[in-house]
Amino acid sequence: MKKIRWGTLVAYIVLAIFAIITVFPFVYMILGGLMSFRETTTIPPTLIPKHFEWSNYAKVFAQAPFARYFLNTFITASVTTIVSLFNALLGAFAMVNLKFKGKGVVQVVLLSLLMVPGEAIIFTNYNTIARIGLLNTYIGLVLPFLTSIFYMYYLQSYFGSISQTIYKAAMIDGASDWEYIWRILVPMSKGGLFTVALLSFISGWNSFLWPLLVTNEDSMRLLNNGLTSFASDAGSETQLQLAAATLTVLPILILYFIFRKRIIRGVVRNDLKG
Amino acid sequence: MNDDKFVEVKNLKKVYDNGHEAIKDVSFSVKKGDLVCLLGPSGCGKTTILNMLAGLLNPTSGDILFDSKSVVNVAPKDRQIGYVFQNYALYPHMTVLQNVMFPLTVGKQKMPKDKAKEIAEKYMETTQITELADQKPGNLSGGQQQRVAIARALVQQPKILLMDEPLSNLDARLRLKIREEIRNLVKKVGITTLFVTHDQEEALSIGDKIILFNNGVIQQDDMGQNFYLEPNNYFVANFVGNPVIDNFKVNVKDGKITGSDFEINVDDLDKSRFKRDLTNGEYTLSVRPENILPAETGHVSAKIDDVELIGRERILKFTHDGVQARSLVDLETPIKRGDNVNLKMRLDRVFLFTKEGERVY
Amino acid sequence: MRSNQKKAWLFLAPTIIFVTFFSIYPILRAFVMSFQSGPLINLNWTGFSNYQYIFSDPEFWRAIRNTILYALISVPVALAISIMLAWFIFSKVKHKSFFETTFFMPYVTSTIAIGIVFRYIFNGEYGMLNFLLRALHLPAPNWIDDPSMSLTTIIIFGVWTSLAFNIVILMGALRNIDPNYYTIADMYGATGTERFWRITMPQLVPTIAFLLTMNIIAAFKIYTSVYALFNGQAGVGNSATTAVFYIYNKFQIVGTPGVAMAATVILFLIIMFVTFLQRKMMKKIGGR
Repeated sequence: MKKIRWGTLVAYIVLAIFAIITVFPFVYMILGGLMSFRETTTIPPTLIPKHFEWSNYAKVFAQAPFARYFLNTFITASVTTIVSLFNALLGAFAMVNLKFKGKGVVQVVLLSLLMVPGEAIIFTNYNTIARIGLLNTYIGLVLPFLTSIFYMYYLQSYFGSISQTIYKAAMIDGASDWEYIWRILVPMSKGGLFTVALLSFISGWNSFLWPLLVTNEDSMRLLNNGLTSFASDAGSETQLQLAAATLTVLPILILYFIFRKRIIRGVVRNDLKG
Repeated sequence: MNDDKFVEVKNLKKVYDNGHEAIKDVSFSVKKGDLVCLLGPSGCGKTTILNMLAGLLNPTSGDILFDSKSVVNVAPKDRQIGYVFQNYALYPHMTVLQNVMFPLTVGKQKMPKDKAKEIAEKYMETTQITELADQKPGNLSGGQQQRVAIARALVQQPKILLMDEPLSNLDARLRLKIREEIRNLVKKVGITTLFVTHDQEEALSIGDKIILFNNGVIQQDDMGQNFYLEPNNYFVANFVGNPVIDNFKVNVKDGKITGSDFEINVDDLDKSRFKRDLTNGEYTLSVRPENILPAETGHVSAKIDDVELIGRERILKFTHDGVQARSLVDLETPIKRGDNVNLKMRLDRVFLFTKEGERVY
Repeated sequence: MRSNQKKAWLFLAPTIIFVTFFSIYPILRAFVMSFQSGPLINLNWTGFSNYQYIFSDPEFWRAIRNTILYALISVPVALAISIMLAWFIFSKVKHKSFFETTFFMPYVTSTIAIGIVFRYIFNGEYGMLNFLLRALHLPAPNWIDDPSMSLTTIIIFGVWTSLAFNIVILMGALRNIDPNYYTIADMYGATGTERFWRITMPQLVPTIAFLLTMNIIAAFKIYTSVYALFNGQAGVGNSATTAVFYIYNKFQIVGTPGVAMAATVILFLIIMFVTFLQRKMMKKIGGR
């Protein structure tokens, strides 16, 4: 009995230490963003600012067009999510419910493309976008990401778990494929679609390398790129950098806390494919 | 218009992409207003046929006619059929009312909501599910889901109703009740119905006519009692009947039928029951358990291995020539396990099958 | 089901069009470009010269060495810590979802933003980490500005970021283990340690193999976290350069896309090889 309690105690201590290590950077980021410049660089370091310097945020918005970055990021992440989900929905429906020649080939090709690392194609895609003259445009930012094989694959497994007879019943009831998708498939898989949308939006929000390549005008930058350029421009003004970082992270963190169960379940589900 | 051949299937074949021959040259017809059971063991092709009738599967060759018009190239939704699935396939996110209304609110002949609702409610009344209107299928019992599925299948006023093992997900007691309800309902509506099942008892009790399949071929297309009294072949004789028929290996030579320990003169058999001439060779002599009974002197003598009580009757089980056989006797018969008895066959009720299963007598 | 040839292709059309232009074409193009030299607008065939160039480029070898070292150290360390934490959460504590939620936070946050935060935590003079180390009388190195420390720094950051995904996936796998196994083990009087090594670990093997591969692949693609930690540089004097950094540099800064694509092809082959190994491993495990 005593032995078990010791084990539990050790477990709690180890978990607490790692939980602190995990959370500390977030706490430091939020508090540091409210410190004065002196407080961020004192030795020994301070953790809790004497006065909350809310004016840091005003300065951040004054020194760089963060409102614009927000708008750009929101537009890019939303468009990517909506369009890629729409395409994935149609594609996954066809792969699950329709029968056609070449289905096996399509499946194999898509699955092998799933293994191709994004970094291996991102530079040639940049080249394509540059040649069409879409640098520094919203279309250029979203175009290569309007289809996601990964999410299509995810939805395929989701739709596959719906009984085939439901589709057959709908056919006999006289529904067209389009009606089946919108009146039966989508309402029946609301949860899965929403989770995919969340994950897609989050990864769109956090994208970095692609927007770094295809934008160089300040007005077209996304949050993360704006943040890095701000970090090098603002140079030594640590507190402003931390405030800007908070601005970038907070919306997603809030989204995460609201939908944490859904997000975690979604991630676990889609990675059990192996 | 040909009411005797309201549904007509001509030389239907289905070969799957993997080369599996599911249906081999099947032809049959169904009279208008009849309830016909497609019976057979699992994998015999009965569901494949139903799916081809519904248009969910394309036949490899052959023709399907509804009311004398070929429907092979007609989409499922335009075939004027209703379909009840084994697992009911109710839409889980819709209420019962929405499920029943659904067929009326999609496709080209979409109707206004209030009209659809009116019709749906009429059929929900027929199937006695009016009070369930606002429930989701997940909250319903198997029997209730069954009724919703039937109401949804009927709401488009189809000409033909197809049912795929609709009772197999219900428990035994409910199954008896619902199958009676289905028969009454179908007869009341007057719709031509094809009912797939693997349960012979169900088929015998519900069907106006039964079509028995095995290995993608029709074994017998007949009225229920004929499967019992006049089976077409060895398969039918063994598939239909509970307890199953007794089979004895025999040899026919020069007017004598010889089993392992009995001999029968061919002259003792009823001449009018011969399907063709009996030639010398190996045969199977089959007899229903109620036609082989204990007697002073009999054809077979055996020790009773076991006695099983089934309601008003008892089954005497015995081993003959290494194979288990049964005799069906009255409850009052005082024979016990371990007794030695003589068993006598009613020779005007036995069957003789060739090695290939073809019936000779 | 009836065949729906045309309709099916219609539904798949958007996916197929985009995939052709932005997945299949770029792979082929990258492969072709790796045999070409010159600026993007005027490429000409030069055979294997790009490959010869990168194989004799010490910068390339440093990038590969750093990338491999990073993968070989950060992945097993992160995985070991993850297994420990997941097992503790699963078997010892009550507030499972609280801990799970906490540990998953880094997964959803921008690496860039949190990398900037780490830059200050790692700061040699006023950083929190060195404050703590000095208080414990441990050596307090200059994490960011000392070239010999940069690889260590990105490894620590890498471990911090990858715990989240590992823990959540492992928790999923732990929940999938049939609780009856544990009930039976208890009946036979197994200790906690025995339960872990005799029941849990063998059941986790496929998940661990999967995570190992995913992590290694991710490690080979490391770029963003280095960029964030060292403010757009690959460490002082390129000390922490990685494969993707090398590619980016050759493609965008130096303007030799052919060389960049040759390096891309090499990286691609390495990742394919790891994936291939995983497949084989999974088959072996699955075939037990």
